[in-house]
Amino acid sequence: MPPLIAPLKGMHAGRAFGLLAFVFLLAFGVAVVQLALDQQRVIDVTSRLQEQTVPEIIRYQRLARNLEQIRQEGERIFAVSTQAARQQSLFVVTLIASHPSVLEHPESSRLAREAERFLGEVVRQAAGGEARLDAYHAEWQRLAARLDNQIDDVSIQGTNLASTDLKVATSAMNLARYKLMLVLVLVGLFLLAFIILVRRHLIYPLQRIDQALSTLSTEQPAPQFGSSRMLEIQAVEQSIREHHALLIQNDETRQELEQLANKDGLTGLMNRRHFMQVAELELQRAQRYRRPVTVAMADLDAFKKLNDTYGHAAGDLVLRIFADLVHAAMRQSDLVCRYGGEEFAFLFPEVTPEEASRLAERLRASLAGWDIALPDGRAVRVTVSMGLADASECPIEIALKRADDALYEAKRLGRNRVELAPGGRPA
Amino acid sequence: MLRGLLLVLLLCTLPAGQDGGASRAASSEALRVLVLDDAPPMSYRDASGQLTGFSVEIARALCREIGATCLFDVKALGQAVQTVAEGRADLAAVGIFDKPEQYSKLLLSKPYYRSLSLWLARPDIEPGAAGVLAAVVSGSAQERYARQRGWSVHAVRSAGAVREALTAGTVQAALVPMESALDMQKNRSFRHLGLTPTVYSSAELSGEAMIGISPLRPALREEIDGALDRIKRNGTYDRINSRFLPFRVS
Repeated sequence: MPPLIAPLKGMHAGRAFGLLAFVFLLAFGVAVVQLALDQQRVIDVTSRLQEQTVPEIIRYQRLARNLEQIRQEGERIFAVSTQAARQQSLFVVTLIASHPSVLEHPESSRLAREAERFLGEVVRQAAGGEARLDAYHAEWQRLAARLDNQIDDVSIQGTNLASTDLKVATSAMNLARYKLMLVLVLVGLFLLAFIILVRRHLIYPLQRIDQALSTLSTEQPAPQFGSSRMLEIQAVEQSIREHHALLIQNDETRQELEQLANKDGLTGLMNRRHFMQVAELELQRAQRYRRPVTVAMADLDAFKKLNDTYGHAAGDLVLRIFADLVHAAMRQSDLVCRYGGEEFAFLFPEVTPEEASRLAERLRASLAGWDIALPDGRAVRVTVSMGLADASECPIEIALKRADDALYEAKRLGRNRVELAPGGRPA
Repeated sequence: MLRGLLLVLLLCTLPAGQDGGASRAASSEALRVLVLDDAPPMSYRDASGQLTGFSVEIARALCREIGATCLFDVKALGQAVQTVAEGRADLAAVGIFDKPEQYSKLLLSKPYYRSLSLWLARPDIEPGAAGVLAAVVSGSAQERYARQRGWSVHAVRSAGAVREALTAGTVQAALVPMESALDMQKNRSFRHLGLTPTVYSSAELSGEAMIGISPLRPALREEIDGALDRIKRNGTYDRINSRFLPFRVS
């Protein structure tokens, strides 16, 4: 069992999926907050870049420009020929070297002061004769070179201010990118887990339930399901098993009711109503296909006397034994019913009256030779009279009437015999 | 790709700051801006009589940036500060370094340039020495500084008047801002005086110059500050700086 799924055992499906959704939302929410924080970091850095760093970079650029101005004014002091022009340049150098924009950068300020002092000395010396300037020019060249280097350094320092902010922004963006990828993986994993759970715990069980329902019948054994982990699925599966048991119970009840409705309670033979329905159908079939069919009426001889002599229990016993003999003697396709009292009706499909009379005779003979043991130890013999008639060309009621007439004839001729209605010969 | 993303993020964060001023601009009414006309190179009239100079052009650039129509008016330094402090004008681009106590309600913008003060005199004349009369601009930080220290002071209306007082020998020295000294250096008569500049770096005399804003227009200060940041970033400020001054003053 996967460890992720094990805790879900015995949990309602709704709660299980709700829990998963909650965990997903929690994880996704945390990731989104993290991304938002990274985004805020980038916004803060870019804002700082705009509000603070860029002005600072511009300030460095202006400082570089002022240092460059000192260098240019120094060159001018050596280049011009008038002392007034030199003093003017020195004045500008003094102002720049004292300007707050230079003073606030210690290295630049030291160098600017050094240049100011040096150029001040140069201007003073120049007042005594321009020839003296040459002695200072080489040193000025070195100082100017240092100014150039300082200008470059200041420019680079200014540019590097942005690097820090950009590094922070890049770092935040990289982090955000990794987190975004992590979120995507997280979403993918949760979707995968969700699909697996849905397939394993909902779709597959529902498919099994669908299959079980489509084949559910009393002929099939009770459906077997795997052990589902979701209570709802377990409940549905249990309901299907109970439904199947109910189907079987209903079928058994139906069969019992059918028996009660169609059979004679004493003998177990068909009752007259059911016999007439089935015989009617059988007769129609035989007449449609022009097949032979014969009906018969039978009556136990002197049955009233037997009842009077041995009691109704003995009479009932005789009726049941006769029914058993009928079952034993008749073909499976033959129909027989207790027509009323000690009277019985028969229908022999695919049999001519002549052939049927042989079956009837065998039945009559069986009964006539049977010693029926009564519960009190005595034994009785019972005979039966039967009348047969061809039913292949007339309705069942008429055929039975003719068979009954033949039965009456058998009674009249002495009982315990089989008579064929006119139109057929006795066996 | 990452740089592109950063650029997009940068661009996304810019508009709020960039367009704010212009959108408000349209502020209906015109702004009354007070400037000097006798303090070159910061504020003066050119050959055609038009007001110009570093402070004037910065003020014009700020007006353009916030989209306002600005009407320039000329006042002496002390009057300009007082007029704006009383709300009778909106801006004073006259290089205010500190706020006089009596104008405590005056609003000040972010600094728009940094300056220092110079003592102009022969090398043997010490500031505050007995019998030394120093010229200052009336209403300036230099005047307040000198008077607080009990110096003999000759207050004049403008930097031009300071130069005239020096060349005429009315005064032996002057305490002036560096911009005025720069302009004086262009004058041959002044140069012939052979005065030595001494830098005064005390807090009262050097530092940051601001634009005075009417206390009745507090929202205007935020607009002016934002516009100042923008013109410093977009190069407008440096072009004006190069036009009027030999070095960067911010």
